[in-house]
Amino acid sequence: MELFLPKSYDIVWSLIILVIVAAFFYKFFLPKFQAIFDERAAKIEGGIAKAEQAQKDANEAKEKYEAQLSNARVEAAKIRDDARAEASHIIADARSRAETEAAQVTANAQRSIESQQQQALVSLKGEVGVIATALAGKILGAKLQDGDVQSSMIDSLINDLDKDKAE
Amino acid sequence: MIDAVHSLTLAGATQPEYPSVDDFLPDPFVFANTPFAINRIILVRIIATIIMLLVLGITAKKAKLIPGRWQGAVEWLIEFVRDSIVYQVMGEERGRRYVPMITTVFCTLLVFNLCGIIPGMNIAASATITLPLVFAMWCFFQYWIAGIREKGLGHFLRDELFPKGVPWPIYILLSPIQLLELLIIRPFSLTIRLFANMVSGHLILALCLSATQFFLIDVENKLLAPYGVVTFAAGMFMFLFEALVACLQAYIFAILTTAYINMSYPEAD
Repeated sequence: MELFLPKSYDIVWSLIILVIVAAFFYKFFLPKFQAIFDERAAKIEGGIAKAEQAQKDANEAKEKYEAQLSNARVEAAKIRDDARAEASHIIADARSRAETEAAQVTANAQRSIESQQQQALVSLKGEVGVIATALAGKILGAKLQDGDVQSSMIDSLINDLDKDKAE
Repeated sequence: MIDAVHSLTLAGATQPEYPSVDDFLPDPFVFANTPFAINRIILVRIIATIIMLLVLGITAKKAKLIPGRWQGAVEWLIEFVRDSIVYQVMGEERGRRYVPMITTVFCTLLVFNLCGIIPGMNIAASATITLPLVFAMWCFFQYWIAGIREKGLGHFLRDELFPKGVPWPIYILLSPIQLLELLIIRPFSLTIRLFANMVSGHLILALCLSATQFFLIDVENKLLAPYGVVTFAAGMFMFLFEALVACLQAYIFAILTTAYINMSYPEAD
């Protein structure tokens, strides 16, 4: 029965210890851990918000990038088309220039041939005339000293030559 | 006959050193006959308190945002008391006020009860009638204060002594019982339950271990040794069982304290 009768010193020590541990838990231990829990919760919430922000930023960047990419694609296509048009233009230009030049060259050649031919003809005519005159002179002697006879003779001679050539 | 027993005792132990209730009434060894006398159990209690405050205090001091294993375990304990005991019984809004109290009760009683199986201490620091009584009185004041604050004294007593939905003649029987319950039964059932558990646990465990010591080592007739093995096995079982009881009684004390305080609050609509 003595077991169930509180002793005064037991009461004192039990109360002292109760007050000490209660003060410890109320004033230090639990507030400290509550602060840790709150801080952690805030950190986690902040982290989630930050992650959401980062996700949003990433999406925005992606959209921007894709828009830029499609812009770039359109631009590239345009540049390609331009280049192609330019190229065909250049080719056409070059071709027409070449053709013109070729035509010019041909024409020049033609002209020079013609003039040379003319020159040759003229010089030939002169030389043939001289030779023929000399020849005829040798053959006919003084008979042909008269200029009119001489030129008419040469003309008929050339006509004959032309006729021969035509035949 | 007495001489024979006496001579045998001198020659060697004839029986185990049985534990007795005197284990719970050790003589004070300092400050005897003053209110500050300290005996073995109070010394155990003081040491247990110092160790608990140091360990938990250092843990709280060093507590970091990202907990290590030990801090995680301590936090688990705090959250267990808060969520599984207080909020479970009272709900969060009402319970917040009592979380520190119930944490104090649970942690302190858990540590004190566990002293019963710590070698060298070997007796629960809660194993005098006074310590459970002090905690029970704290609970007692808290539920009276809560009742008077929430309902007013008259209304609180009317609710407690004359529960609604009972035919009036029953009140003749019921009301005194309710009053007794409110004044005596609640605190004393808390006290006796914890104290008796600590006493009986210590007695059985000490009995098993002293019998083991006696039959395996002290006794001269070694034929009794197998019996010592049995008592050792029983001692081991009781050791583990006492560990369970220590936790369970701390939990029961805490949850009943919470429930008693909660009863003082008006019924939730």
